[in-house]
Amino acid sequence: MKCLLIGEYRQGEMLSSVYELFGFAAGIGAEAALFLVGSEAAVPAADIGVYLADAERYGEYQPQVHQRLIAAAVERYQPDLIVFSHSSYGWDMAPRVAYRLGAAQVSEVVDFVDGEPVAPVCNGKLRRRIALKTARTVLTLQAGAFSAATLPAGSPNIEAVEADEQPRIIFEGYEQAPAADVDLSKAEVIVSAGRGIGKPDNVAMIAELAKKLGGEYGASRPVVDAEWVAHERQVGTTGQTVSPKLYVACGISGAIQHLAGMKKSEFVVAVNTDKDAPIGEVADVLVVADVTQFIPVLSEKLG
Amino acid sequence: MEFTRELYWNVGHGIATLVPMYLLAFAAVALLVRGFIKRRATYLRAAPIDRVDQPLVRLTGALGDMLSQRQVSRVLWPGLAHAALFWGFFLLLVGTTLVFIQADFTDPLFGWVFLTGNFYKLFSVTLDLAGAAAIVALALFMIRRYLMPPEGLPVSRDYLIMHLLLLVILITGFVIEGARMAVTELGRPVAAWSPVGLLFANVLVDMGEPALRNLHRGLWWFHFFCVLGFFIIIPYTKFRHIFTTSANYFFSDRGPTGKLASLDLEDEEREQFGATQVADLSWKDIFDGDACTLCKRCQDRCPAFATGKPLSPMKVVNQIQETAFAAPDDNLIEVVSRDVLWACTTCRACQEICPAAIEHVGKIVEMRRALVLMEGEFPDEATMAAMEQTEVNGNPLGSGFAARGDWAEGLPVKDASAGEAVDIIYFVGCYGSFDKRNIKVARSFVTLCEAAGVSVGIMGKQEKCCGEPMRKMGNEYLFQTLAMEMVELLNGSGCDTIVTTCPHCFTTLNKDYRDFGLTPKVVSAPVFLQELLNQGSLPVQPHPFTCTYHDSCYLGRHNDIYTPPRALIEAAGGTIVEMDKSGSESFCCGGGGGRIMAEENIGSRINNTRVAMAVATGAPVLAASCPFCLTMFEDGTKTVETASPPVPQDIIELLAERLKTAEA
Amino acid sequence: MNILVCIKQVPDMEAKFAVAANGVWYDPTDLAWRMNEYDEYGVEQAVQLKEQVAGSDVTVLCIGTDKAKEIMKKALAMGCDRGVHVADDEVFSREPYEIAAIIAEFARDKGFDLVITGMQSQDRGSAQVGLLVAEMLDLPGISTVVGCSLDGDGLALSRELEGGVRAKVRVNLPALFTCQLGLNKPRYPTLPNIMKAKKKELITIAVADLLKVAGRQATTALFVPQKKGGGLVLEGDPAELADKLIGILKEKTTVLS
Repeated sequence: MKCLLIGEYRQGEMLSSVYELFGFAAGIGAEAALFLVGSEAAVPAADIGVYLADAERYGEYQPQVHQRLIAAAVERYQPDLIVFSHSSYGWDMAPRVAYRLGAAQVSEVVDFVDGEPVAPVCNGKLRRRIALKTARTVLTLQAGAFSAATLPAGSPNIEAVEADEQPRIIFEGYEQAPAADVDLSKAEVIVSAGRGIGKPDNVAMIAELAKKLGGEYGASRPVVDAEWVAHERQVGTTGQTVSPKLYVACGISGAIQHLAGMKKSEFVVAVNTDKDAPIGEVADVLVVADVTQFIPVLSEKLG
Repeated sequence: MEFTRELYWNVGHGIATLVPMYLLAFAAVALLVRGFIKRRATYLRAAPIDRVDQPLVRLTGALGDMLSQRQVSRVLWPGLAHAALFWGFFLLLVGTTLVFIQADFTDPLFGWVFLTGNFYKLFSVTLDLAGAAAIVALALFMIRRYLMPPEGLPVSRDYLIMHLLLLVILITGFVIEGARMAVTELGRPVAAWSPVGLLFANVLVDMGEPALRNLHRGLWWFHFFCVLGFFIIIPYTKFRHIFTTSANYFFSDRGPTGKLASLDLEDEEREQFGATQVADLSWKDIFDGDACTLCKRCQDRCPAFATGKPLSPMKVVNQIQETAFAAPDDNLIEVVSRDVLWACTTCRACQEICPAAIEHVGKIVEMRRALVLMEGEFPDEATMAAMEQTEVNGNPLGSGFAARGDWAEGLPVKDASAGEAVDIIYFVGCYGSFDKRNIKVARSFVTLCEAAGVSVGIMGKQEKCCGEPMRKMGNEYLFQTLAMEMVELLNGSGCDTIVTTCPHCFTTLNKDYRDFGLTPKVVSAPVFLQELLNQGSLPVQPHPFTCTYHDSCYLGRHNDIYTPPRALIEAAGGTIVEMDKSGSESFCCGGGGGRIMAEENIGSRINNTRVAMAVATGAPVLAASCPFCLTMFEDGTKTVETASPPVPQDIIELLAERLKTAEA
Repeated sequence: MNILVCIKQVPDMEAKFAVAANGVWYDPTDLAWRMNEYDEYGVEQAVQLKEQVAGSDVTVLCIGTDKAKEIMKKALAMGCDRGVHVADDEVFSREPYEIAAIIAEFARDKGFDLVITGMQSQDRGSAQVGLLVAEMLDLPGISTVVGCSLDGDGLALSRELEGGVRAKVRVNLPALFTCQLGLNKPRYPTLPNIMKAKKKELITIAVADLLKVAGRQATTALFVPQKKGGGLVLEGDPAELADKLIGILKEKTTVLS
């Protein structure tokens, strides 16, 4: 089986999510080559085949043009699977490529069993296996679902890809969202503070743990109401509804308004002195401990 | 010795006096009437509302309220002063009228003289004391308002003019009397029947008769003109409350208490819902402003005002009135402002205390209706999300509707929606169904019923929100959708008794749903449990404890249920330490009026303020009887700064913990 | 501006989902239904554009069972002018390619200046339909839009990328875009508009009249993912607890890898 892995290139760099694509290919025992609209400098120094289109010429985001470039690479490489990350680039390009190739497409694949991709349904509450009816298939992979691979040492074998397609949209540039605008709904890790943290000074240790875990810190309503934490960080029906990969509830008993706002989280850790607090019912792990004792230790161990 | 006096003494009783006097008096009364007729035109520009049904009941009620002064006397000292001023002037008016009747009607026409003998003694002494009482009351009023004004009491030139005018009328009355007595009564027994006049006479007597006669005649006319002036300015000053407040007793809302008017949503021609302009309100809503005396009792009791929110019920009522007269086409919502409208918890503290029978809450809800139904606006996104959740899942919490009956797992409840025969249908409500804390209360209630041998049915996933928070927030459309569905469901159950543990559900089912045809009897849990207790069917073993009890607005002020919850606490062995504000003066938890769905971002939090009052009692338990209150207190007790905050508990839990069967 | 906005009826995600008897989709029993959240932003954007450009017309299209008309009424109450209901009792088995083909078949000769769809549906979550429609109709398609404003004859759009970065693009009409959450604030329908919506045109087309392609994939099995940690309770010394927790996080989540 052959996989054409579609790398992403933004603001002059290739995104590291591509290593998960290699991990996927290795996991199913497939041969893999990389496609990238980027620059030679961005290609990893590894023993891999690369179809490279020049981002200077074709643009970092120019979907109609990229669609033709990928189709050209497919023409040459003849892969069975064309694999993207399920990201703003991947889910944008995949349907266009699938249409161009007359291929089936499965989105946000989390597993691949006996030649059939598995994808989540209803916010991950369910999963489905999908039988494919076309010769080629386009996949987008859920971020984090497949472990990143280490590429074999060596130097890349680069083939240039070209296309003759006029852009149909004008890409005007990138824009950084306003920094103050914390958007918990898109954070992958959220560490939230409840009344159990005791006093406003302890918000700092919650923020510290969030930073260590590469996420954002949030809070329950009473903490926000007490003005220990800004409103934009409130989790719950009156604040933000969140669904991170990891939610750490620190000293939160679990009022229904709060639970409604966070129970879609993939993995929930609750830290609470009360073993019977309602938060325990949605927690995958309940750590029975005092927040102010436990959190600093945890942060320290996370380095 | 005959006890009487010469009427019109010294001013003459001929054409020269009577013609100008009566002409001017009629002119003044005509101006007074004209003033009110002009105001009436503004009232009539607003929407009609029937407030003259059962006229005899209304009239007796209004006369009772007016003459007894019972509404104004609910705040004791200013109330008694007002009663004294009212009764003083009322008697003076009656007395003066008697003088005219005898002097210009019965005596000249029939030769009938009644101000004589014992009746004259009574007449004279009563009027003297009435005048004195009025002066004392007025003095107290003026001291209170100008020397030591309570916060929020308006002090303006208008009030000073009004007070001084009354004072001048009263004092000149006594000087006139004194001058007359100095000339005609000093040394005679009759003088003793005018004790205040006698005081003045003794002071004035040294002036000598000619000067006294001149003083008397001059002041008589001055006094007369002051009275005319008083008549004329009545419609244009707060004096108008003499008529409008009394009339407002007649026009008052005859209940059911707290029930909102249902909008006709079927009317396809209708283009306006709720009140955007004054004309969208009823004439009574404008008249209320005319009846308002700015006594600020509503403002003093408003939980929103007390916690630094911009809402003053008094101000809203007056803004509506001012807009109606000054700029009727203005957008009322802009005048009143959104923050004001959204701040109300519909706790009814304002309406309960108002001595002028003003209806504050309905006005605010009408304007909320316009915001929600005409603009799609809500206080915040949380509220809008709760509305949408209710549309999808039938509850504002956003829990999946199918799990609504899951709380009762393992309990002996029957599925009433399947038509199983039961003694009562328990309408659980959203919090009792989905909120962890309140599920404990719902389970306790079923346990109590089981112990009393009462079979309980629930509607399970077919039950939806009663719509109360949505209705109070102005979403009449969503409310009526829910109401019609629930009425059909409950009527179809075949059970004739519905019990609620949520006072909001209770008031909605028992009052609001009647407009939509709900037929079963609806009983609130405290009343239902008290009945069981009185019948001896609730095997409760008292176990002593101390608590304070918070009257929920919807059990208390909205439904007058004050003693049953206290009886239950006592049956459980509880001793109640009352908070400063309890009973009909209870202070809202902050969760009413749909505010349970909203954020509270202005001022301090109402629930924390209330919890602080509970902390002040020193009681270890804060007993409640409403899921919203319990939720607000669970939050509030976590925030309050005290070493050992009281534990919020529902009285149903307190009782269930003391069931004899529990351990035996 | 002649706008087509496509919406889908989905179950509320709060529900407990169970696998249907056919084994390939969820059981519709006990589910609450609502407009796909992403599509609500689409309807709002369509109505906002209509309010900005005189003479605009918004058609809302929904493929679904008869029940789907509920959300169409909401879209009409929000301000769409007419509704097209593609009646399809098999909608749950349709893959994105088929759904896109139905929409494209309907839209092909209608002269729409703009087609708007949600970025994905909340249940199937494929994030393909909008862009497939763009390909089928040969329109420029922009996905994951969080900002939209008129720009001369075209639109200035903001695409949401990862990490708080946005890509600014400009496109001439006709075009298609798909809406990400937060694009705007979907309005709450006013009562007069709910009443007016009852009188708006809502036509039904049988799916057979529009579906002319075969699916390229099919669900073979639907299942509930293996239960996660199952409420493990950890007690003991904080340092030991921290070690245990880190171990669990490494095993069960991807955040520490």
